[in-house]
Amino acid sequence: MVGSPVLFVAIPLLAAFLIPLMGMIWKEFVRIIPGLVLAYMLVLSVSLIIYIQSHGTIVEVISGWGPPVGINLVFSPFSGALTTLMTFLGLLVWLYSHKFKRNVDYEPAKKYFILLMLMVTGSVGMVLTGDLFNMFVFIEIVSISGYGLTSFFVRRDSAEAAFKFLLMGAFASSFLLIGIMIIYTQLGTLNMAEIAQRMPQMDYHMKVFSLIFILVAIGVEAETFPLNGWAPDVYTQAPGPISAAMSGIVVKAAVYANIRIIYTMYDLQGAYEYLLIIGLITFIVAETAALKQERLKRMLAYSSIGQMGLAMIAFGIGTKEGVYAALFLMFSHAIIKSLLFFSGSYLVYNKTSKYIKHVNGMGKYLPITAFLFTLGAFAIIGLPPFMGFWSKLALLSAAADSNLVILVAVILVVSIVEAVYYLRVVNRIFFFKKRANTKPEKPTINAMIAMLSLAAIVLVIGFYPDLVTGLIERAADDLMDKGRYIGEILSKN
Amino acid sequence: MNVIFLILILFLVGAIVTAFAGKWSSLLQDGLFILAVTIPAVLFFTQVEMNQLVGWTRGGIHLELGLTPFSYFFAILVLLLGVASAIYSVGFMHGKARKSYYYFNYLLTIMAMLGILFSRDFISFFVFWEIMTWASYLMVVMNGTRTQEIGIKYFVFSAIGAYAMLMAIVLIHAQTGNFLIQDFIDTYPSLAHGRQILIPILLLVGFSVKAAVMPLHVWAPGSYAYSPMSFTSVFSGALSKMGIYGMVIVFVTLLSHLPEGGLIRDIIAWMGAMTAVIATLWAIAQDDARKLLAYSSVGQLGYIVIAVAIGTPMAMLAGLFMAFMHGLFKGALFMVVGAVEKQTGTTDFTKVTGLIRKMPWTFLTALISIIALAGIPPLGGFIGKWMLYESLILSDHYLLVIVAFFSSTAAFLYAYKFLFGFFLGQEEEEWADVKEAPITMLIPMLALAVGSILLGAFPQLILKPINNGLISLGFSDSYGKLWETSTLFNEWGDKVVLQPIIYAIMGVFLTTLAFTYFRNRKRTRYVSTKDISTSGEIPLAHENLTFKENFFQPFLRAVEPVMKKQIDWYYREFGAGLEAIFNFTRRIYSGNGQTYALYAVIFLIVLLLLNGNLFGQ
Repeated sequence: MVGSPVLFVAIPLLAAFLIPLMGMIWKEFVRIIPGLVLAYMLVLSVSLIIYIQSHGTIVEVISGWGPPVGINLVFSPFSGALTTLMTFLGLLVWLYSHKFKRNVDYEPAKKYFILLMLMVTGSVGMVLTGDLFNMFVFIEIVSISGYGLTSFFVRRDSAEAAFKFLLMGAFASSFLLIGIMIIYTQLGTLNMAEIAQRMPQMDYHMKVFSLIFILVAIGVEAETFPLNGWAPDVYTQAPGPISAAMSGIVVKAAVYANIRIIYTMYDLQGAYEYLLIIGLITFIVAETAALKQERLKRMLAYSSIGQMGLAMIAFGIGTKEGVYAALFLMFSHAIIKSLLFFSGSYLVYNKTSKYIKHVNGMGKYLPITAFLFTLGAFAIIGLPPFMGFWSKLALLSAAADSNLVILVAVILVVSIVEAVYYLRVVNRIFFFKKRANTKPEKPTINAMIAMLSLAAIVLVIGFYPDLVTGLIERAADDLMDKGRYIGEILSKN
Repeated sequence: MNVIFLILILFLVGAIVTAFAGKWSSLLQDGLFILAVTIPAVLFFTQVEMNQLVGWTRGGIHLELGLTPFSYFFAILVLLLGVASAIYSVGFMHGKARKSYYYFNYLLTIMAMLGILFSRDFISFFVFWEIMTWASYLMVVMNGTRTQEIGIKYFVFSAIGAYAMLMAIVLIHAQTGNFLIQDFIDTYPSLAHGRQILIPILLLVGFSVKAAVMPLHVWAPGSYAYSPMSFTSVFSGALSKMGIYGMVIVFVTLLSHLPEGGLIRDIIAWMGAMTAVIATLWAIAQDDARKLLAYSSVGQLGYIVIAVAIGTPMAMLAGLFMAFMHGLFKGALFMVVGAVEKQTGTTDFTKVTGLIRKMPWTFLTALISIIALAGIPPLGGFIGKWMLYESLILSDHYLLVIVAFFSSTAAFLYAYKFLFGFFLGQEEEEWADVKEAPITMLIPMLALAVGSILLGAFPQLILKPINNGLISLGFSDSYGKLWETSTLFNEWGDKVVLQPIIYAIMGVFLTTLAFTYFRNRKRTRYVSTKDISTSGEIPLAHENLTFKENFFQPFLRAVEPVMKKQIDWYYREFGAGLEAIFNFTRRIYSGNGQTYALYAVIFLIVLLLLNGNLFGQ
């Protein structure tokens, strides 16, 4: 074994504390260290993914207390795939913002990178942990760093957005605690594997109550309707790369938590239907709300919520195909939406209001950025031969195989709305006259590399989806096999 | 590597290389562009073997490509128009903005159309179909005029069609477990009845959008009119035929197994007939050549849809023959408009007149193509229409004959308007120094016009591939019996009986003309259009003698009730209504943190109240 899953939490956390200290020695360390750490994490997670293919899931016991007593970290094909995705996106976010923040003073840059490291720590921790209370702690870490990053540009609007996020986050934390408390009083354990094992003993009403509290709590982070009111404001006000990190990393972790709880811990059939219905409502409301938006990042935020709704629908189908589709959707959404946020932020760079009309005519001044945004838009609409097509096909196929014809029709109809608002922006970029008071800002070289690598993934996976389908399939198998998960963890005792 | 892959990859690589070559040299770019179309076309006609399948797997899905005789027929049309229009494009795009963009999308569209024809599984089919859609979408918005309206309308309707098709495809996958077209055709008769009806209808919706069948045609006039004319000749000539291609496959292989198939066919035939009538009337009312031809394209597609929907052996032959002819003459006509636009800068009939001497070759193309369009013997258009009427009468669709006959007669009006508007009439000083179009634009136009003449004399050139294709779909062999059913053909079925007579008459006429011309050559004097006198008055230099405004007004006034409410209007109202509803959903996100907190609490309470119902044991 090349390393231990515990490093995923320990190293970025350590780096977050070391950044200000190292910054005293040489200011550039503040910008360099996060990159090194994230690159190391990416290498580590890729090598661990390769390792578990031959050796099976890694269950890491912290400080000698074996499960179910102590905390354990699980690096399975499912959590491993998500970890790799998150660290990869984290690295790109760092790359994108490395020079982006150069025009910002030393002090804010320090805060920015500390909070970014914490955000990655929390998200990766949520995915890896095998302990429910530990998950709560990581959710808190993510949320708090999220509040901070939202108000990074010290402005009235961003403070307001951060406050809304804080308010909803507070509700989420208290509900989650109530849910965890009910489980602990009933089952006397917080280890997820053991909870799953003992779940049939739990009183039905207690079971449902605890599930509802947990679902509402995690629903806030996972942007489910009607708990996602904070999201559009936060995405609009946070710096561009942070919006990408939110949609690509944080929300993915929250959806993971949602799914792990429903698929592994609970044995309630109705929970799948809940996912399906709530996912569908989220999808419809978000996509239709996106159509009339006037601000670019707000539109992208609603689109992001809508895509998460799609992933929840796919999880709600409950078959292995559905899980496969959902993971594929999460993967492609993380890549494409990051590309859109990255390139979109440059298209509306010099305006704090970020109106869609500011992109008018940018195709002439920022040809590559505009092209990349268009590529992302085409991909997220689901046009072949780009990546988004394969994930959408997987979802529709899974729905049709489960005989959910109406669902297929609804998803497709709403997808037309999605196509309309994206193409309206694309038309503005290329075929409208530039407004006199907008000033194009050339992307930095780092940002360009980050965007180009995302675009390359969109194209390569679009032409050759087999690169990831094997990985996703293993992850889906892993999630569906609840017995193995319980067995692997509890056998570590 | 298989040659089918090679062709597709050559197009793709050609598209990318051509797009970037413009950075170095415009001439190199033009050359590469022509090569990128012609090399795959040559490869296609020399190297591709019929019925050979190549399979591979992508993302766990088995995909197959191959060429059937039926797709071979459409591939002839696509490549013919593709090459002709590519040569034309070089002249047309010379000195225009976004040339690289145009070349890139042009090559991708041709690639996608060939890909559709090669596809033997639904996923490849859909992938190529969507590439075709977005590449042509990028062409429609290329001029930057009314992109938010016309471009989005095109995309929305294409998406409706494509998503209906995608829904059918995933339903098919749920039934057969794979995406192969042949497997589905084989299992279709054993499906449940509901699925048996739903799947063909969804597929037909998808194909009807591209074939511009009413009520899904509203995108077509705008998109045809506002794309670059050199692309529209492919767009209207070949791309719309992809819808016909799919429709014929659905009719022949699926609906023939269905008891309700006849009803569905009749409905589609009537929709085609309505399209033909309304679009023809709208075409007559247009004052812009681009829009006139755009509506005319929709109308002509209506005939083709009538023919393939009726689906008797002769009607099928007639429909596909007309599809090919439409590609030839409409391709040439759009090129004519492009040439006029290039040379004069406008396509408005009320502005441009009297170009016949300035652009004689363009006029010749227009004349031949208009004759073909109007269905006047001896050109190919006549044969198609004759066979259509004959098959409609023989299959007892008398009402349809009347409707088709009405719209085809009405089509004479716009055909005349087109010829007269640009080329005839008074020569005005404004257009005194208009030159003939460059040679790269003339050659493809004339080639297509010659094609129309050729098919009028030798329709078997294209009827044979059509028949082979239909047989390969499982349709009856109707070609050999053609002489039994159609009075048009001699008993060998490969010559048109009327043709020798017509050629004899034309021969006599032309000889007399030539004779008198050469005889009186010495005394010949060229006169201007103003060299006349009415009631002893000689018109002044600036007096307007050409009747251009309000063409056919009495006729249009007579048919006004039919044209009062466009379907377009209903769609616009529907769209506006939807946007208003969406504006309401936007209001759910009020931007007030307290409201959001309230949502969270209410949501929790609702879930707690529902718990037993929602999470049933």
